Amino acid sequence: MLISDGNDYLRFLAKEKDISDQIINHSRSMISIINRDYIYEKINATFCNAHNVVIDSIVGKSCADVWGHETFHNIIKSNIDICFSGKTIRYEASFSTPQLAKRYFEVVFRPLSVETGEITHLLVETFDINDLRLSKQSVIDKEEELRKFETNLPIGFLRCDPDGKILHANKVFLNIMECHDEVSITTMNLKSFYPEESFFEMQYDQLIESHSKVFGRVSLKSCRGNEIPCRISGFLAFDESGTPSFIDFAVEDLSRELMLENRLLQAQKLETIGALAGGIAHDFNNILATISGYSEMLQDDLPKDSALSGKVSKIQSAVLKARSLTNQILTFSRQVEQEKIQINVSKVLKETIGFVKSAVPSKIIVKSRIRKKDANVFADPTQLFRVFLNLMTNAIQSMEEEGGTLSVNLTVVEGKLVQHELNKDIVSDEYVLLTFKDTGKGMEPSLINRIFEPFFTTREVGKGTGLGLSVIHGIITEMDGEILVSSKKEKGSVFYVYLPVSKKYPDFSGKRDKRKKILLITGDKHESRILSLALGNTDYELIYISDHGHLIKVMTYINERPDLVIYMSDSKQIQPEDLVDIFHRLNINTPCILITDPNQELLEEKLLNSGIVKQHLIKPVSLKEIRNAIQISLK
Amino acid sequence: MPGVLIVEDDKELREMLKISLIRRNFTVFEAVNGKEAIIHFKPSITDLVITDLIMPEEDGLKVIIKLRELKPSIKIIAISGGGKAGPGSYLNLAKALGANALYSKPFSINDLIAKIEELLNNEQHT
Repeated sequence: MLISDGNDYLRFLAKEKDISDQIINHSRSMISIINRDYIYEKINATFCNAHNVVIDSIVGKSCADVWGHETFHNIIKSNIDICFSGKTIRYEASFSTPQLAKRYFEVVFRPLSVETGEITHLLVETFDINDLRLSKQSVIDKEEELRKFETNLPIGFLRCDPDGKILHANKVFLNIMECHDEVSITTMNLKSFYPEESFFEMQYDQLIESHSKVFGRVSLKSCRGNEIPCRISGFLAFDESGTPSFIDFAVEDLSRELMLENRLLQAQKLETIGALAGGIAHDFNNILATISGYSEMLQDDLPKDSALSGKVSKIQSAVLKARSLTNQILTFSRQVEQEKIQINVSKVLKETIGFVKSAVPSKIIVKSRIRKKDANVFADPTQLFRVFLNLMTNAIQSMEEEGGTLSVNLTVVEGKLVQHELNKDIVSDEYVLLTFKDTGKGMEPSLINRIFEPFFTTREVGKGTGLGLSVIHGIITEMDGEILVSSKKEKGSVFYVYLPVSKKYPDFSGKRDKRKKILLITGDKHESRILSLALGNTDYELIYISDHGHLIKVMTYINERPDLVIYMSDSKQIQPEDLVDIFHRLNINTPCILITDPNQELLEEKLLNSGIVKQHLIKPVSLKEIRNAIQISLK
Repeated sequence: MPGVLIVEDDKELREMLKISLIRRNFTVFEAVNGKEAIIHFKPSITDLVITDLIMPEEDGLKVIIKLRELKPSIKIIAISGGGKAGPGSYLNLAKALGANALYSKPFSINDLIAKIEELLNNEQHT
């Protein structure tokens, strides 16, 4: 501005002062000017209003007078001194004024200097930041709320840029994807979780079109390399210029849902097969009855011991085998009535474990922990024994080569837990949970789904009908129980058996004990199983083992000696004469029924004179013959 | 010659039973289902009935009840093939309703005949 003369300058100065006074006065901050003597030289209207004072009560007074000597000396003086040394001081304080309730202020001490550079005064500006602070706090609170929302909902949330670089991911997402390093997630790209990068590109294109989309089921790859089935939804946000700025994803873990779906499908499949098989079995039994009847008639018409008669016998034994097969089918399709009584599960389990332990190779350890000794279930004891034996045998077989440990546990769990875990209706408020865990070969995931299927077997042709586990499944389901399996290749498998605890029915255990115990030994597992099924469930309790080699162990260590031994010899294994010798050495005088192949050369006299062998039958034998022999031997 | 009524819907099986009984000098009557059995029942010349339990048109349980009404002294043997309703439960029920013996298919035909003779001989003695 052009200054023409001294008067202009003075007028300018006066005008400037006036304007600056107005600025100070109209400022929304409280302003005061303090000199080196700690005396207020100027305050503005806002200051007066806020403190409800008049100018004259402050101006000319010292800070000590205004604020009180203590406050002045403790707090204010030091700030003023620092400011006079040239430093601007800024701090936040909260206080109430006569006019206002407690609010937040920002206080600034600013040194004022004259032309010479000397600091003569300082400006104290107190600025009300309450609203600012409130809204900041509000923002923080909202953020916290959002974080809770994001943490509490069991859904994974993440945000990434249009290239897939992850900007933020919540804890749930990290858990689902098995990443346990929060820091590194932001260095990762979402594409690395997809089975293929193109997946992300595809989703991105779809989002460009529709902005938000539910993508449905996608299989993601976790940080550990596992496949996790997920449901994914996405939302693409644009900035003001219309450029894609970030994408928000919601990721839901579908593992449990899929597992339940799978289980339902399996159950339905088994039901269908069961109904079908049951229907076939019925007609089958009619046909078998016809074959059986005519072959018996043929037998009657043929001279005994003739070659033809022998052949007809074979037809009859085949019919017997077929019959027990249909029985197995009916069992797994749950159409065979069993003889159910209230039995103590741990007792049966202990018996089975004892039995198995004595016959198991030394490189396999059998451990057991029975936590509830008095839990009862309503079941057929033979069936239960069969279930336990089958599961343990399977476990042992999976550890045949390398050895390992079979751990069997029994505990009782609450019905509610079962209902939640298995998602099915419960029939009792307590369930017995038995776990059979092995450290064997384990199974591929694709196999696990199928092991309860009838006729599904991983064994070679001729070695096992594949009915074992399906029969077991049928038995357990018929008891209103449930059997589940989890397995990891090379690590081992665990079978979980749930059985409802029964408290209603009286204890008939006495009835069971009166039955005779028969130990059946054959060289063929298949034969044992079928024979035991055919002979079992009647007046005797039948236990079978299929390995002659373990006979000695069994006979020595078995808790209760059987009342009768049926020994079906296989000429490749222990010779019957050796059996007799063994029995003699062990002081065993359990009567024995010997069933041998027709071509075996035996020292007949020795056998029959031994006193142990009560009956000697030659294969092929019919059930009737065996039953007769049993009856005679048990007398 | 004692008269035996066979009630069985499976043709082959029925035929086999007939032949096996004729061989042993029984007079044999046949019915393909329970309804037929009840309609054509001749109490005076029928001493024993062999009936399947699960058949179309009047199942075996009804046969047992009805025939016993018509001839209280009749001997009844129930046979069952399993499947569908489950052999165990039906057989036990059959016994409760008055069947003298129960057989589960496939049974031994000689056993069955022995049983028939036993049941009929007992009758003669009483």
